Amino acid sequence: MSGGTLKKNLPGLLQASLNPWLVRIKDHPERLAFILHRVTGVIIILYLMAHVYVTNTPTRAGWEAWTQVMAQFGNNIWNKIGEWIIAGCVIFHGLNGIRLLLVEFFGIGVGRPVHPKPPYRPVSLYAGQRLMLLIVFGLAVIGWVWAGLIIFG
Amino acid sequence: MIKMSKASNIQVWQYITAILLIFFLGFHLAERIPQITGLTYHQSLDAENVYHNYSSYGWALWFLAAIALFHGLNGLRGIFLEWRQGKTYTLTVNALFWIVYLALLGIATWTVISLPALG
Repeated sequence: MSGGTLKKNLPGLLQASLNPWLVRIKDHPERLAFILHRVTGVIIILYLMAHVYVTNTPTRAGWEAWTQVMAQFGNNIWNKIGEWIIAGCVIFHGLNGIRLLLVEFFGIGVGRPVHPKPPYRPVSLYAGQRLMLLIVFGLAVIGWVWAGLIIFG
Repeated sequence: MIKMSKASNIQVWQYITAILLIFFLGFHLAERIPQITGLTYHQSLDAENVYHNYSSYGWALWFLAAIALFHGLNGLRGIFLEWRQGKTYTLTVNALFWIVYLALLGIATWTVISLPALG
């Protein structure tokens, strides 16, 4: 893609891929799940890079430094809020990832192919994968609340 | 020369690492759940407990780092390769993927191998 084409398409790309609030999600929760999967994935990999560095603290600076770092995390409300957001990202990304594995990798819940008939609703909108999607959203909310109780408790 | 990776290869590796992550990351997260460990979240991060985790199954934590970093950075690579196309761009993204992956895996390996004994 040339630079000009990229510039021209960038607003649409951002709207379609990165900003869940600009996308019409009514009747399209799959689209919301796709976007959230990407957004949470990017947040998680950024966290993971920091996590790998922080968990190196005992090796780099000794166990006393580790205890200090953990005390800082445990006593700062903003760090706890950050951990809770990361936990929410991991829970949603993990649950939706399991759904994607079942649907895309193992072909579970995709339904049987059918002849197109009016009103031409694709199987994906009413077969098992729609139910799985709703279960993912439900469990993610429950899991996030539970993670909050653990982190702030 | 760095080989051009096919989009389908990237996706297959995402699936394989995702299946492994369900078990390894699931176990790692379970270590922080009070109802399972009997420790509060913050107690589970105490030096004694973390040292115990590393000395009991450091290899599993290293393997978890290896697959989680691969899965995350490979996903990021997929997003970047969808964004733009081109041979130089693809090779650059692929090279950066391996450089960042090996650097972070090096830090994780250092953590597990050279972890000092507790006080």
